[in-house]
Amino acid sequence: MKIRIDQQEIDVNPGETILEAARQNGINIPTLCYHEAFGGQGMCRMCMVEVKTAHSTNLVASCTYPINEVIEVHTSTPVIEKARRTIIALLYRTAPQSEFMKKLYQEYKCVENQLEINENERCILCRLCVRACEEIGSSAISAILRGTEKRISTPFDEASTVCIGCAACANICPTGAIELSQTPAGRTIWNRTFAVVTCQRCGQAFATREQLDYIAQHTGIKGSESKLCDDCRKKNLAAQIEQYAQ
Amino acid sequence: MQPAINDDKRMILVCCGTGCLANGSMEVYRALQEQLATTEVQVETYTKSTGCNGWCEKGPLVKIMPDDITYCRVTAKDIPEIAAKTLQNGELINRLLYRDPKTKQRVKSHHEIDFYKKQHKVALRNIGEIDPASIEDYIQRDGYKALGKVLEMTPLQVIDEIIKSGLRGRGGGGFPTGQKWKACAAVDASTRYIICNGDEGDPGAFMDRSIMEGDPHTVIEGMIICAHAIGASSGFIYVRDEYSLAVKNLGIAINDARTRGYLGPQILGSQLSFDIEIVRGGGAFVCGEETALMASIEGNVGEPRDKYIYPTEKGLWGQPTIINNVETWANVPVIMNGGAPAFAAIGTEGSKGTKVFSLVGKVINTGLVEVPMGTTLREIIYGIGGGIPGGRKFKAVQTGGPSGGCIPADMLDLQVDFDNLTKAGSMMGSGGLIVMDEHTCMVEIARYYVNFLAGESCGKCAPCREGLKAMLEILTGICKGEGSEADLDFLREIGETMQIASLCALGKTAPNPVLSTLNYFRDEYLSHINEHHCPAGVCRDLTRFYIDVEPCTGCGLCAKNCPMDAISGDRKEPHVIDQDKCIQCGECRNQCKFDAVKAR
Ligand SMILES: Cc1cc2nc3c(=O)[nH]c(=O)nc-3n(C[C@H](O)[C@H](O)[C@H](O)COP(=O)(O)O)c2cc1C
Ligand code: SF4
Ligand code: FES
Repeated sequence: MKIRIDQQEIDVNPGETILEAARQNGINIPTLCYHEAFGGQGMCRMCMVEVKTAHSTNLVASCTYPINEVIEVHTSTPVIEKARRTIIALLYRTAPQSEFMKKLYQEYKCVENQLEINENERCILCRLCVRACEEIGSSAISAILRGTEKRISTPFDEASTVCIGCAACANICPTGAIELSQTPAGRTIWNRTFAVVTCQRCGQAFATREQLDYIAQHTGIKGSESKLCDDCRKKNLAAQIEQYAQ
Repeated sequence: MQPAINDDKRMILVCCGTGCLANGSMEVYRALQEQLATTEVQVETYTKSTGCNGWCEKGPLVKIMPDDITYCRVTAKDIPEIAAKTLQNGELINRLLYRDPKTKQRVKSHHEIDFYKKQHKVALRNIGEIDPASIEDYIQRDGYKALGKVLEMTPLQVIDEIIKSGLRGRGGGGFPTGQKWKACAAVDASTRYIICNGDEGDPGAFMDRSIMEGDPHTVIEGMIICAHAIGASSGFIYVRDEYSLAVKNLGIAINDARTRGYLGPQILGSQLSFDIEIVRGGGAFVCGEETALMASIEGNVGEPRDKYIYPTEKGLWGQPTIINNVETWANVPVIMNGGAPAFAAIGTEGSKGTKVFSLVGKVINTGLVEVPMGTTLREIIYGIGGGIPGGRKFKAVQTGGPSGGCIPADMLDLQVDFDNLTKAGSMMGSGGLIVMDEHTCMVEIARYYVNFLAGESCGKCAPCREGLKAMLEILTGICKGEGSEADLDFLREIGETMQIASLCALGKTAPNPVLSTLNYFRDEYLSHINEHHCPAGVCRDLTRFYIDVEPCTGCGLCAKNCPMDAISGDRKEPHVIDQDKCIQCGECRNQCKFDAVKAR
């Protein structure tokens, strides 16, 4: 099926989202809550585009809009740009210290407003951490409460019993909102401290005990392989290949 | 089996809607039954507990038929007198009759009162007339007749009839019901679901509760008709958790319908098999939004999703689903019984039939009113509602619930229908009508609704969550006299972004209270900002109350009611307010009969 995005004619598979189709064709649409590993969530609304069908013209979130008919898409109009700028201005307040939001604030030329800024706020609620935890970790965190009280946490804000301390959430967070401290004594995340396992080769702390157990349970990878950090495992593999080659 | 209402028997109907129950109507009902067991009355007399008459403020209501007498605010203590005078001698008890505030006359029957006379009951046709727990009562009034007729028709004919009637969804969106059914029936699938949306999260609205409590079979019949039209085998009624009487009455009705063969396998000997289950709601206002509601039935968090694929294609558990509002369902049997043209003869070009409104606020008669679409706001507020109490001036009416807009006095002749309300910057919503008088501050009203919505939004999408948070901060500032004119531009910018960018209709409509008051009452915002003055005398930081010596008679009512003991003065001499003690609650102004308390 052929559709047009910003005057460019592109070939798409029915059911594909506008965002996916655009990205595959090198057309950029801004996003905050989208990640190619998880698909569209429709939360930040930055990916809004204008869609013309045979019957109507609408503004839609391109990350969740499936293409099922011939459409014409505009990824940027004055109305859309203004809305994006307002969203950034509002979200900036939720993570004013982060380089990520500071940069967007400038990029969108947000004008200063009279709203108070609380420097302690850190989370833009894109929920990428929740998705990462579902996919990589153990669904230990979620968006709790509702309305303007909404935030990310473990159930009842207590130290999670299912968390494996993999830190996938902290790693994916664009604004550094998730507190993670790592010392030789252990890794602390979501109110819980995990014993860390050090790499048998380089001595780096690279994972938590719970994480390795979880991997062992779900993949069956055990033994010495799991006692090496990613780097050393690769080096190890390279060395083995070299040996065979000789 | 309960006998029907006819002439050779007397029927006493006691309103047992939630409002009247709260005022003790069950005691009245019991006292009446006990009394009748011991008193000799000439005519055979039966009692019936009915659903809500929509006039809760005057309840408990007792209606005596066929004499057509309506007694208001009846207590158990009045029962012996009613039996002795009215039932035995046909004598009226003046004290219990409604007193028309305009003519000061007592009125014998509710049918003579403007509040009822000017209404046109379609969705509420049976409420207050039948015992909701009696399927015979419903059948007596043409109940399940439409179903019998529909089963002789093809599904397409049924859908066609609904399309021709012009019925639009009463849950807020106003989507054409027939088109929705048609789209759902056209999807290729083996399983389809039907949902009745009885979440009614709109504070102050109770039309859906009244229907579910007072006439549960009409909802059930509507759903069965749809099941035949689209080919569904199971349905759900999603009822707001607090509505225990609705759950009870719906439960009884579903059981009775099953016993009679209206629900279950091979309904009335046809090929149609359909059954209904009651689901209790999740609590938040946003759970009434259809995709959030379906998520909630599925056991997930009640958050909406984008509807680029309609529920008619992929709804509950991914199957084609029809979701309609309680009042929408209540209209379906009427359309199928009387035919589409009769229904379409009521209303306006784009909005057919009637709409039930919940009329509350600063208006003399409050309660549920059902009027043809296209009735003017003036007719509803003044004709039916009786105008503004205390001789005060009308200021605005908010329509459509918490995210509706406020419509000013010069638009009172607006004919209420889906399209006109949207054009006026408000909406039909579920049919809330909140009347405001000159003592209402429009900035504070906007702040109040934004505050409500900030807590009731799901918080999933950024424009709604962050927009409401920012609007609330700005409006709170203006109410304290800390605003600037630039704030007003920013409010508009945030509002417009929420309207186009929010995920669901909550966020898209949430700016209405703000944008409509900015449009129609901008002066009031400017007074707060530039003069640090709240013209209505509501915002405490910007208000000082004082007593005007001219009209003050020194009656002392204000001093007696002041919670801070801030008012003093000799009897029959003008009183004064001690500004150091005053907390600007405005109680003195509310109490003063001589309009002597002024705000500055
Ligand atoms: C925030 C929000 C709350 C809603 N609450 C209700 C409700 O309580 N009852 C209802 O019938 N519809 C409610 N709706 C509308 C539903 O999403 C849906 O449009 C309706 O149930 C469809 O039925 P109808 O076509 O018969 O109106 C709500 C919508 C939104 C956005
Ligand atoms: S608009 Fe509001 S209620 Fe609707 S999805 Fe967004 S945050 Fe939730
Ligand atoms: S990327 Fe589409 S809504 Fe966030």
